[in-house]
Amino acid sequence: MKQYILRRLGYSVLSLVLLSLTIFLFIRLTGDPATLLTEPGASADDIQAVRHKLGLDRPIWEQYAWFVFSLLRGDLGDSFYYQTPVLELYMSRLPNSLTLAVAAMGFSLVLGIPSGILASVRVGKFWDNVGKIFALLGLSVPSFLVGLLMILFFSVYLQWLPSSGTGGISHLLMPAFALGWYFAAAHMRMTRSSMLEVLGSEYVKLARLKGLPESIVIAKHAFKNALIPVLTLAGINLIQMINVAVVVETVFAWPGIGRLLYEGVSFRDFPVVQGIVILGGAMIVVTNLLVDIVYAMIDPRIRMEN
Amino acid sequence: MRSMAETAGATRPGAIGRRTGLALLASGILAGGARTAKAAASGTVTAAVHVSLPPAWLDPSEMPALITTYMLVYALHDALVKPMREGNPAPSLAESYRMAPDGLSYEFVLRKGITFHNGDPVTSDDVKFTFERYRGVSQKLLRDAVASVETPDERRVVFRLKEPWPDFMTFYTLSTGANWIVPRKYIEKVGDPGYKKAPVGAGPYRLVSFEPGIELVLEAYEPYWRHAPSVKRIVMKVIPDEATRLVALKRGEVDFAYSIRGELAQEAKKTAGLRLEVAPDGATFWMYFPEQWDPASPWSKLKVRQAASMALDYVSINTALNMGASRITSNFIPKHLKYHLPTPPPVFDPAGAARLLAEAGYPGGFDAGMYWCDSSYSNLAEAALNNLAAVGIKLQLRPFERAAFDKGFLDKRYKKGIVQASSAAFGNASTRLAVWAIKDGAYAYGSYPEIDALYSQQLHELDEAKRTAILHEMQQAIYDNKMFVPLWQLGFLSVAGPRLKDSTFGSIEGFVYLGPYEDITLNGK
Repeated sequence: MKQYILRRLGYSVLSLVLLSLTIFLFIRLTGDPATLLTEPGASADDIQAVRHKLGLDRPIWEQYAWFVFSLLRGDLGDSFYYQTPVLELYMSRLPNSLTLAVAAMGFSLVLGIPSGILASVRVGKFWDNVGKIFALLGLSVPSFLVGLLMILFFSVYLQWLPSSGTGGISHLLMPAFALGWYFAAAHMRMTRSSMLEVLGSEYVKLARLKGLPESIVIAKHAFKNALIPVLTLAGINLIQMINVAVVVETVFAWPGIGRLLYEGVSFRDFPVVQGIVILGGAMIVVTNLLVDIVYAMIDPRIRMEN
Repeated sequence: MRSMAETAGATRPGAIGRRTGLALLASGILAGGARTAKAAASGTVTAAVHVSLPPAWLDPSEMPALITTYMLVYALHDALVKPMREGNPAPSLAESYRMAPDGLSYEFVLRKGITFHNGDPVTSDDVKFTFERYRGVSQKLLRDAVASVETPDERRVVFRLKEPWPDFMTFYTLSTGANWIVPRKYIEKVGDPGYKKAPVGAGPYRLVSFEPGIELVLEAYEPYWRHAPSVKRIVMKVIPDEATRLVALKRGEVDFAYSIRGELAQEAKKTAGLRLEVAPDGATFWMYFPEQWDPASPWSKLKVRQAASMALDYVSINTALNMGASRITSNFIPKHLKYHLPTPPPVFDPAGAARLLAEAGYPGGFDAGMYWCDSSYSNLAEAALNNLAAVGIKLQLRPFERAAFDKGFLDKRYKKGIVQASSAAFGNASTRLAVWAIKDGAYAYGSYPEIDALYSQQLHELDEAKRTAILHEMQQAIYDNKMFVPLWQLGFLSVAGPRLKDSTFGSIEGFVYLGPYEDITLNGK
């Protein structure tokens, strides 16, 4: 078990190193931030002065070494645009992103799980078809369109909800729905397929043979077991909602990490993009590591396989 | 503010012309500014801003080469001399200023009784401190030029130059933040990081709260020397999405929405209570021919470049893409930059363009390669490309996201075809020519020796009339050679809500944001 954990830990560290290298190199292929931090047509001296100030005139390996060295000290660097520490910026936006992500996750689970169960117990019938249409719409209609339509309907025509920004619960409703919409469809699909798998298992058949009411079979025997992969997916999705709700946060002017990432990409603010990707990646890697360890603890076959 | 009812090219009411401004600069009498009595400030104006507001913009000492910075600086801070409604430049904290006849020194005299937001008086010592602390755009250029800064008394400050530099005022007062005065005592007390968190300036508004990239709240500083602001609070709320900004304005959540373009601008114009406004001094856009110095290229022939100029339906493009709000021009140096030469308006004549192409040896037109552009303005590029194709100049559009486009331009990678260039950089005609039209300019793919020679000649010319004549001669040569073919000077569109009486938007020459903030008024006040 100890060896297994160490090996998983090694893979996790390797993943993070590869992630840091990938994001560091790829973001640098997208253009020169100095040209975005000056007006078009600025003089060569002004552009060069910006490059020098940001350390972009140093060799690429030196920049990477400095980036990794800073990272090991817990320093994500200073934003090119804001000129403040990235970690400070990240933490200032985190509460907003958490609020939105939790609300959107709640919505997606409340809508996705029951509709997934309903579709799985009514396979090929009306409710299954409704679920399929819902999943298709959820996964294919872009969230910016959902967001803009909601703004148009609820803010402009009905005048019920504010169009943007943060504040009370009224500010949260539309962005949470727009963000949760896609994930609700994903959770619905996962619940449905997971339920179908469980409903076909031997122990569910046995429960039915024992004469248990169908509601008990579904709720107690099938659903509890089908829930594990759904919650695992929900955990990863929550991290995505926190870190990359770029479109929804931009449309609703929601001051979260996704909007910060959007600005970072727009301004080629390398430290901001690197920082958010690294932190998001670290969250996913750590979550996966914990899940792997827990699986290994409860399932000896996984331990033995590795 | 300029409403859509006014047409591009009209003179702005209340503005003092460039030449008048120059004359007043020489005599140093553009003092004015007696504080007029006004009712106490009240009410709140909320502006939906299209760009993120970083803390660095609160401190003029770190001024980048970005005009957007001035959106905050005009509210929080004040300069010795700055572009204003009453002139460009106009004395502000300085009641007068003058250049010595030998061009080796500039003296500024501060107004009496002016104070920072914390009540400290603005003194010559603060001016000197501000200059020495400055580390923003062009700081090396300024430092290298200035031999010393002297403060003979509390109100007088003298900049001594190492040698005469005709562009000193351009760089010191227009293109950098070195002239926006910060309080020495306060900064020495709180330090640079403390200053960024709680900046104190001498402008018409003081900072109440700031969430970087999200929201900025300002409150009127009633003792402001020009006059007390009419509006008590100004809130700048960052709303990145254009449609959301317009919705927020329609719902009354904000009073002003920056940058509303295209169909959304048309929608705003149709909406009762909303007022589409134009800041006419946006970036200039033009076509650049990197092959004009290659004798084997069609673009080396003047008639081909003239044909390209005549192929463009300037008015239709402007009407279709920007509601006619942009200014049609044939000079790539905009009107608001000093030493601008007014040139005749461009002419749309497709038949004439086809004739010129035939005379140049291309009767059926030619395959001209790529049309490179910043993807943010690919709609303008598409319109130009269609017009050029109509006379036989066939190009393929190659839009790039701005960072990649600028990098390619600077690295001189766009060797064939046309590049759609633009600039909103500060300075004057000379500084703009240096970057685009002169040998070794950052964006110059070639140059003409006679224009290069004239450039060197004017660089140290202290006689304003002679310098103006040389710079005009250069612009005339560029116009005659069709070195560049301007498309338009962008009219920056924004929308004011029903509560705003005078938004002040675009009312300062060369400045495309709200300001002067103290002049903003609400209806019913």
